[in-house]
Amino acid sequence: MATVVQVENLRKEFGNVRALDGVSFRVDAGEWIAIMGPSGSGKTTLINILGGLDTPTSGQAAVDGTDVARLDEAGLTRFRAEKIGFIFQQFHLVPYLTAVENVMLAQYFHSTTDEKEAQQSLERVGLGDRIEHLPAQLSGGEQQRVAVARALINHPKLILADEPTGNLDEANEDIVLSLLRELHTEGHTILMVTHAPSIGHLADRRIEFAHGRLVQAAATSLKPELA
Amino acid sequence: MMFWRLVLQLLRGNRGRLAVAIVAIVSGAAVISALLNLDLGVQNKLTQEFRTLGANIVISPASGAPAHISDAEVPSLMPEHDVLEVMQQLPPTQVAAAAPYLYIVARAQNIPVVVAGTWLDQAQKLDATWKLEGSWITSRADDSHCLVGRNVARRLHLAVGNPLELHYLERSAQCSVAGIVDAGGAEDNQVFATLRAVQSLANLPGQIGVAQVSVTGTAPVVADYAARLATALPQYQVRPIRQVAEAEGALLGRIRLLIVSMALLILILTALCVLGTMAALAMERRKDVGLMKSLGGSISRIVGIFLAEVGVLGAAGGLLGAIIGAALSYWMGLRVFGTAISPRWEVFPTTIVLMIVVALAGALPLRMLGNVKPAEILRGE
Repeated sequence: MATVVQVENLRKEFGNVRALDGVSFRVDAGEWIAIMGPSGSGKTTLINILGGLDTPTSGQAAVDGTDVARLDEAGLTRFRAEKIGFIFQQFHLVPYLTAVENVMLAQYFHSTTDEKEAQQSLERVGLGDRIEHLPAQLSGGEQQRVAVARALINHPKLILADEPTGNLDEANEDIVLSLLRELHTEGHTILMVTHAPSIGHLADRRIEFAHGRLVQAAATSLKPELA
Repeated sequence: MMFWRLVLQLLRGNRGRLAVAIVAIVSGAAVISALLNLDLGVQNKLTQEFRTLGANIVISPASGAPAHISDAEVPSLMPEHDVLEVMQQLPPTQVAAAAPYLYIVARAQNIPVVVAGTWLDQAQKLDATWKLEGSWITSRADDSHCLVGRNVARRLHLAVGNPLELHYLERSAQCSVAGIVDAGGAEDNQVFATLRAVQSLANLPGQIGVAQVSVTGTAPVVADYAARLATALPQYQVRPIRQVAEAEGALLGRIRLLIVSMALLILILTALCVLGTMAALAMERRKDVGLMKSLGGSISRIVGIFLAEVGVLGAAGGLLGAIIGAALSYWMGLRVFGTAISPRWEVFPTTIVLMIVVALAGALPLRMLGNVKPAEILRGE
């Protein structure tokens, strides 16, 4: 199976603080990985580097064969548009754009917009009747589903979900998790940060972090390459 | 298409925050538009105002000798026909008024008095500051009436309707006082009769001593008209009256300086007002920018959307302000000059372009957005 994520001896320092300390692992296409660990263990830093939102201090972080450490600003911009789909804990929708426009915004930065496709993407996450609603008119769960539709619209190689259910009640958590399960079934590669062990167990594998180091892998298929 | 959809939603979604900038741009545009309309319109209005101060070109015999005739003097004169023929060939639209004059020193009640023969229908146009008690003489053939200056009327105890007998050498003529002129100048000491009557009294048929012309336009236009008259009448002296032209030029220059200074000040104040709003908006939009960057938006595309929003704001505010300014200048024209200043079409695009430039200059704080680090913003830092 093709490797989508290849991380080798990845380090990230913020001044004297070492957020990632020699992390290495690999993710194959179609895998659903849960990244777990306490606050400040480096989970979000890893997601940000893999998503091209941050750059490593040293080491390699390759997504679909592209080492993000070697990309300049323009290269990172294209990388984010073409290869990554983000789902954030805080949803991060543009408040003055409707649901469909929020999805189309990702299309706009990727290439060209297709409103019909954006509507279909929203219908797929069960929001066919909410396409013209502003984020303020949607519940938290609905906003997160818009974010899922937006993450999928450009057919990314990797979906990065940072605590995707962290701000949701139980009912909406179930809806979003079932959506992630569907995406996994369809063959999407997902890297999901979560605190909750119950959610982590839904993934194929779990990678646990502590103090910027990968400390535990919870599935036999995991091949940690600790530095 | 999506670009303009985003711009529209930005404007709609932030209309409350943009209100201050909109008010500043519309107000700035209204004042700029009014000032520009005034600047362009004031030239015509002032020129018209200056025309009320009297003639601005004088044609006289080349010798420069006095055109007054007394019992003892032989005057330098010009044939009336020569001057009028040339004046008829030049564009009549530029001439507000023109009149030939023949001055003689006659006697009335045995007192010497300057008598001016002219076209009395033109006299009031040549000097609109004249105040008249009685009635104007509107016919150039009305030899039976005359106007007398205020001082002459007092010395000779004349009132409107009284007869006045004028003596020159062995000839005499009688007229009835139609009106008493209060000009506040030398005219108060003169008697005005028709040109034909004075020519007849002086036995100088077809002769004039001087011609006065009031030309509409700026100082260069007047100078150009005078030059053309001088070319056509080389045997005579054609002089623009410099005091009027120079005063007009100096006043126009000062008004223009004032208008340009005020316009610059307004533009700077408008830009500062937009700057303040945009600085606050830039801070608020850091999160949106961080998100857009995470979705693969380049900073140039993202800031481009915001700049278009500001540009639309400038254009719409500029258009609305230009319309308000046109109405304002119309009203100011009525108040200051007594006649409306018509809006000039070129003011509209000028105002709109100026407001777009000012709004974009005020959007300078958006440059800060280039430094936004999406990872930090999305973490909530």
